[in-house]
Amino acid sequence: MNKIGLFYSFNTVKTKQQVNKIKKSLGEDNIEEKNVEEITQEEFNKYKNYILAIPTWFDGELPNYWDEFLPAIEDDSFKGKTFALFGGGDQKGYPENFVDGLGLMADFIEKRGGKIVGLTSTEGYQFESSKAQRGDKFVGLALDIENQAALTEERVSKWVEQLKKEFK
Amino acid sequence: MNSDVQQIYKIKTTDKETLLKWYHLLRLGRSLDDRAPNYLKQAIGWSYHAPAAGHDAIQLAIGQVFDRTKDHLFPYYRDLQTCVSAGLTPEEIIYNGISKDTDVAGGGRHMSNHFAKPEWNIHNVSSCTGNHTLHAAGIARAIKTYESKGVAISSQGESSVSEGYVYEAINGASKEQLPVVFVFQDNGYGISVPKKDQQANRKVAKNFEGLKNLRILYCNGKDVFDSMNTMTEAVKWAEENQKPVIVHANCVRIHSHSNSDRHELYRDNAELNYVQEYDPIAKYRRLLVRYDRATEDELTAIDEQVKAEVKAAHKAGMKAPDPKPESVHDFVYAPAYQPQKFPDGLHSETSEPKKLIEGLNGTLKEEFRRNPDTYIWGQDMANKDKGGIFNVSKGMQQEFGHKRVFNGPIAEDYIMGTANGMSRFNKDIRIVVEGAEFADYFWPAMEQFVETTHEYWRTKGQFSPNITVRLASGGYIGGGLYHSQNIEGALSTLPGVRIVYPSYADDAAGLLRTSLRSEGMTLFLEPKALYNSPKAATPIPEEFEVPFGKARIRREGADLTIVTYGNTTHMCVDVAEEISKEGLAEIEVIDLRTLVPLDQETIIESIKKTSRVLVVHEDKVFGGFGGEVAATISDIAFKYLDAPIKRVGSEFTPVGFNRILEKAILPDTEKIAKAARELLAF
Repeated sequence: MNKIGLFYSFNTVKTKQQVNKIKKSLGEDNIEEKNVEEITQEEFNKYKNYILAIPTWFDGELPNYWDEFLPAIEDDSFKGKTFALFGGGDQKGYPENFVDGLGLMADFIEKRGGKIVGLTSTEGYQFESSKAQRGDKFVGLALDIENQAALTEERVSKWVEQLKKEFK
Repeated sequence: MNSDVQQIYKIKTTDKETLLKWYHLLRLGRSLDDRAPNYLKQAIGWSYHAPAAGHDAIQLAIGQVFDRTKDHLFPYYRDLQTCVSAGLTPEEIIYNGISKDTDVAGGGRHMSNHFAKPEWNIHNVSSCTGNHTLHAAGIARAIKTYESKGVAISSQGESSVSEGYVYEAINGASKEQLPVVFVFQDNGYGISVPKKDQQANRKVAKNFEGLKNLRILYCNGKDVFDSMNTMTEAVKWAEENQKPVIVHANCVRIHSHSNSDRHELYRDNAELNYVQEYDPIAKYRRLLVRYDRATEDELTAIDEQVKAEVKAAHKAGMKAPDPKPESVHDFVYAPAYQPQKFPDGLHSETSEPKKLIEGLNGTLKEEFRRNPDTYIWGQDMANKDKGGIFNVSKGMQQEFGHKRVFNGPIAEDYIMGTANGMSRFNKDIRIVVEGAEFADYFWPAMEQFVETTHEYWRTKGQFSPNITVRLASGGYIGGGLYHSQNIEGALSTLPGVRIVYPSYADDAAGLLRTSLRSEGMTLFLEPKALYNSPKAATPIPEEFEVPFGKARIRREGADLTIVTYGNTTHMCVDVAEEISKEGLAEIEVIDLRTLVPLDQETIIESIKKTSRVLVVHEDKVFGGFGGEVAATISDIAFKYLDAPIKRVGSEFTPVGFNRILEKAILPDTEKIAKAARELLAF
């Protein structure tokens, strides 16, 4: 398996907790952590495998740190690259835009030729609509610390096992 | 990122000059917005301030896409940044904030933070938030009718979308396919009320997804580029397709709703922190630096420039003159047409009498032939041979076409509000609305009616809504509630509208002509029981005119004055004749014709002669217009009176449907004669 670039904001709390779990499960040697708030185009592009932490902000938006970084890579091609996405949402508070951020990022990557892996079932969630939904799957791992914190550990573990098979 | 729209503006490719211009505008708007509370703290003014902070990006975009040479902008009370972006100077913002005479919105007459510049098509809107959606639809109808370029842009908070008139406006724009861009600036709150208490959908634009001819765009109102791209697409699409667009922009409210609100009472620390993190200007600045589009030094230089501009504007504001107290009566009423052929509204025509309804229909047609910028709409009033519930507008659609004569929806507020809006387009336009099927169905339009009475005064004469509101009024038809009542007592309390209430065909024709040739709004009340009555039929001279505020003595006498109007004029004349035949007295009957402005002179001259006065009308005695007439006489003519002023009118009840009830409630000749005899015997 190629080295995985794990991109998230180092200033987060909840996301960082999930990152630590993922690191532990995947093995720290397989991962390089990068702070989205500081990365450059070159730093981002040097990987084949990516895990991106994309919490959804507000009514279905990308966090500022991603929104502000994307122009740097909007002209790049991601052909041959593989991405796994995860992020938090609030299915009760924002049922119309649950984990939209995952969907926005998946669209961005796929438009540039990247491959998305780590899709998960929408079963067990209750929401009205989501840009992250493709049929009965999410385009990544949807976490809901606000409403389903007890399920998080198991969801992360299962997802990481799935990624071990899907990343090359 | 909004995948629905073309990405014209991007941080890496937009030219530097534009990027820096936007930064300057954003900083200028924010600086003024941040400074506003200081004026209140120092008791200088700006007592109402709804901060724009957190809405900066979408407001910048609204102002940037607005083209004052062809578009019409309706900003709401949080749109400081919108107006700065649209070109208002910092001085103009401060003049409005501290209510100076130099305020271009209206010389300090309207509440602070209600920015406008009518001269540039930046319209002066109500505090009754969101009701300008109807005005935007109305002016868009004019844009479409006159095949003009441009669009109407209406801006509001998401909570005001709960108002029924907003639904009327968007439904109407969808039905009529009007080029309006409705912008919802969604900050999640209506003052302290979270949007979950307002509507089921978190994004209220979703409520409109079923409407035809309507495009809905969602954008991040905190992001300059997403906002610019979305607003550019919205305006372009609305103009090209002549259809409405909703732009739903996610914003945050960084501060409290206004300076009378304390958001820390209902927002937790986490929320107060994250709204700060979302600051659109901070994000924009980070982007400029990150992508090497501006240096810190360049941006700091702009910050310094803004400081200097705001400081200079503050100095100008402090030196600017205040409005003068003696100016309060200026611009209450827009100029009335002054009749040329019949300056007193009198005539000696002897031709065949015409019914009141013929007088109205004929005058409408004559004025529509004379002025091609005349329009009429209302409910149930233009379908083949039917022209209104009483056929007053019969034949008009056939002669003048569907663009000038058409049905409105069963939505009185829309009928009234779009009249207000359409009349903003061009000073030559004269609009007649059948405000409702019957006068007492007019209440749903009341907020637009009240609004329209304010316009001329509030804008310090910059906008006069040139509208005649026709209403079939009154009883004696067994119509009961909503078909037989009078509403002029309530409506005469509002400055800014002339009220006429003719009793005869000639006066109906003459007053309607004057209304249609005047600036400003006239409430034209038609006694529907007299439409076809032979009693109200009179000869009508060609091009007859009746000036406003000029009563007519319908019967001369020296023993008692009766002041009346509408249906009861005929009853009073009958009573006078009856008492004359008895040899008891000669009664003078004054038909007011116009209630507002009231012809005090004719009343007083008559009382000087008779020393007794009876005020009669069909509306309720308690709270009726007669109370104002009686009080005016007491104030200025008490010395001429030999008896107390008496009043006759309806009981203080609704008008009952059963004829027995109706008779018990409404005035009639018996009740009038009794009062007259009592007065004569005093």
